[in-house]
Amino acid sequence: MNKIVFSSWGGKIVDNRKGKSSKTPAGTITFPSLQSGGELKSLMGWNGMVITDPETDVVSLTVRYLNEIRKISCGECSVCMLGIDRLLELIGELAEGGEVKGILTEMEAVVKQVSVNSKCFFGQSAVIPVMDAIKYYKAEFQALGAGGKQNDGKDFAVTVTAPCQAACPASLDIPGYIELIRNNRFSDSLDLIRERCILPGIIGRACTHPCEEACVRNAIDEPLAIRLLKRAAADKVLSGEGDALESSGKPKEGKVAIVGAGPAGLSAAYRLRAKGYGVTIFEALPRGGGMIASGIPEYRVPDDILNHEVDLIKRTGVEIRYNSPMEHLDWKKLQKDGYKALFIAVGAHKGNKMGISGEETRCEGLVDGVEFLRDMNLGKRIEPKKKVIVIGGGNVALDCARSCVRLGFEDVEIIYRRSRAEMPASIEEIKGAEEEGIKISFLAAPVSITVSDGCFRSAECCRMKLGEPDESGRRRPVPVKNSEYTIEADMIISAIGQSPAIPVVNASQELGLTSWGTIKADSATLATTVSGVYAGGDCVTGAATLIEALDAGNRAAESIDAYLAGRDRSDDLSFSGVDVTKIRTDGYVPKEPAEKVDFLDIGKRTSNFEEVEGGFSVSEAINEAKRCLRCYRVTVWQK
Amino acid sequence: MVTIVIDGRKVKAKEASTVLETARELNIAIPTLCYHKDLSPFGACRLCAVEVKTNGTWHLAASCVTPVVEGMEIKTDSDTVRESRQIAAKLLFHRYPETEAVRQVARELGVTVPERKGEKHECILCGLCARTCNEIVGVKALNFEDRGVGRDVETPRIKFDPNACIGCGSCAFVCPTGYVSMEQKGDKRIIWDKVFKMVPCSVCGRYFAPEDQLRYISEKTGVPMSELTVCTSCR
Repeated sequence: MNKIVFSSWGGKIVDNRKGKSSKTPAGTITFPSLQSGGELKSLMGWNGMVITDPETDVVSLTVRYLNEIRKISCGECSVCMLGIDRLLELIGELAEGGEVKGILTEMEAVVKQVSVNSKCFFGQSAVIPVMDAIKYYKAEFQALGAGGKQNDGKDFAVTVTAPCQAACPASLDIPGYIELIRNNRFSDSLDLIRERCILPGIIGRACTHPCEEACVRNAIDEPLAIRLLKRAAADKVLSGEGDALESSGKPKEGKVAIVGAGPAGLSAAYRLRAKGYGVTIFEALPRGGGMIASGIPEYRVPDDILNHEVDLIKRTGVEIRYNSPMEHLDWKKLQKDGYKALFIAVGAHKGNKMGISGEETRCEGLVDGVEFLRDMNLGKRIEPKKKVIVIGGGNVALDCARSCVRLGFEDVEIIYRRSRAEMPASIEEIKGAEEEGIKISFLAAPVSITVSDGCFRSAECCRMKLGEPDESGRRRPVPVKNSEYTIEADMIISAIGQSPAIPVVNASQELGLTSWGTIKADSATLATTVSGVYAGGDCVTGAATLIEALDAGNRAAESIDAYLAGRDRSDDLSFSGVDVTKIRTDGYVPKEPAEKVDFLDIGKRTSNFEEVEGGFSVSEAINEAKRCLRCYRVTVWQK
Repeated sequence: MVTIVIDGRKVKAKEASTVLETARELNIAIPTLCYHKDLSPFGACRLCAVEVKTNGTWHLAASCVTPVVEGMEIKTDSDTVRESRQIAAKLLFHRYPETEAVRQVARELGVTVPERKGEKHECILCGLCARTCNEIVGVKALNFEDRGVGRDVETPRIKFDPNACIGCGSCAFVCPTGYVSMEQKGDKRIIWDKVFKMVPCSVCGRYFAPEDQLRYISEKTGVPMSELTVCTSCR
């Protein structure tokens, strides 16, 4: 950022205007910045104001800011909405030559009241920077009556976020869709969700919910059950009739080819189609959904939910060609066929090898976890055995283990090389597994396997202890000397991670790869090293989450649209390094626990693949939505 | 029961009751505009503000939505409380100067309001109609119009769903300003611009209830329509 002229960001005053020296060195505060890396002139946001350009019209900035927060003020409490209106009115009175001292005194009193007596955290926190402006730029407000300047605000832009929204890889307007649920408008809530997430029934079941970890209610009682609220909106509309997606706009020149009908591919396809482009997805498997279809078992995401959401996308005119693997992509031929851009979203479906002796032997009972799930989900019959050990600690390992229980395996044990605290699988999955009688052995890993007569017989394992952290930040497992033990089993499933199978994009134009063997793609534009070819999702990042892949699809569509239309992508604020959860007010919120859903009885679970987790009823969803504190964070900024 | 300290008095309060309910049981006066004892509290008008302390710091809170907790200290009449209530009332009076319910409560809180009666019946967004329709009647025909990012509606307002409404008039009964009004013209009742056909009492002939309302009651209770066509006076 440019040199600070004045800042009240975070409540710390930095005043470098004529004759004033500031106590706090500006270098210790992290401000919002521009995604493009360009120069940000000035801003007014929830955490304060930051002026770097001495020419910035602070009064206009304040007026624009008040207008923006007024749009978000919901009107359900009088003080916030009427208070913001009164502040705008008073500034107007100043401009008309009203009595300055009285007006500024009233403005201070109104700002104070809005900050202590508003119903939600938004009202309380949003007006704070206005107090800074009145206090530290008093002269500019006083000068209004004498013909002080006010510009039309065209130089200003506005960005709205929230702690949950900032944590969401797809930046969903979470307070917005929760508010619509609170007002019993499930269908409108779903429309809002679909603006950033086109697979809400799936995400509402299988998302890792980083939003909930960021929810400010974590510090008060329990986070909002944001994922289950999304599911409630999706399920309610699904149960009704006439669910359909927004159809395409004016037809545009050019077709786009997409490889992979997983979350990234489906999302990009829908968005591009909605902009009017012709879209064809080439999918290797016989059904769409990617990892959702081939990886996630039915007791987590039922087939009919997935089928419905894929079908909705197809009905907007997206062509999906199943059973069409594209290991050898001829980009030139695709271009000759009329495709103007290509989005590669093949995911990461190759299970990583454990790297232990005996693994190279092809034998019965030695199974790759990803392949195991894919076979099962595509309908292959799997004979249950007596004992199976599953190696790994992520959701794939948990999916394998819990599926084995349902398939009739008598004794299922997970072996994970770190401890429970580092286990990457979601807590709900680990809890479900333990409830279903699955044993989890921590701090152990296989070092070799024994095969005889073409069958897996046993694994020799070694105990581990935790050493120094590795690149992932987690403590590295270190083998404990002389702690080997043998475990006999009928099957060993290896679920220790996945890698993408990179398609070859004709011989002359190789796709640039990263050192981990994933496709190299620009993090902002998703462009690969081949012109017109984009990539996103697990094939770029390595195995990650569904919602990240969905966001990659959203952004790929924006990027490809900008590329085909020959325009630049628009710039926006980045809050990287800024703690979006912090506000300068401290309101009282009574404790209230979250609504809970029912789970299928353990006794009823293990012989079938029926969905285990229940959803909210309409009234439960509305009750849970009432706990939301509307933590919108508004920033008005000047480039 | 929990022990709390309210205006310096140590008292026992019913667990899970609100500060407002507890105060009113103790005959401590707290002004309200959007509160009704039979509805869930909403915290819209902000006039019931009190100061509470539960772990070291005093905070302003709306007493209608604040449950009492063990050890809570409460101030219902401090300078801070009076200032907040007065400014909240001033803001309401400034926006709705001609609405009688607002004029009355503003006058009580020390705002200068001329003695004559107000001439308008504005919607003050108290939400009583919506809560009544959702919680007592159950048809959920009234709700707040939504605002916020990408949904810039100029003025927040109550949204009416004519398909859900049964014409019972509960919202008109509970509205403090007279904004929600019901008109009867012969065998028709008009409310929220929707026209309802009224059913005459089979005994006295007076048009007493909308057909839609009786049908709703019949569906909910299982009592056949034919047994519902007698008005409450003739029963």
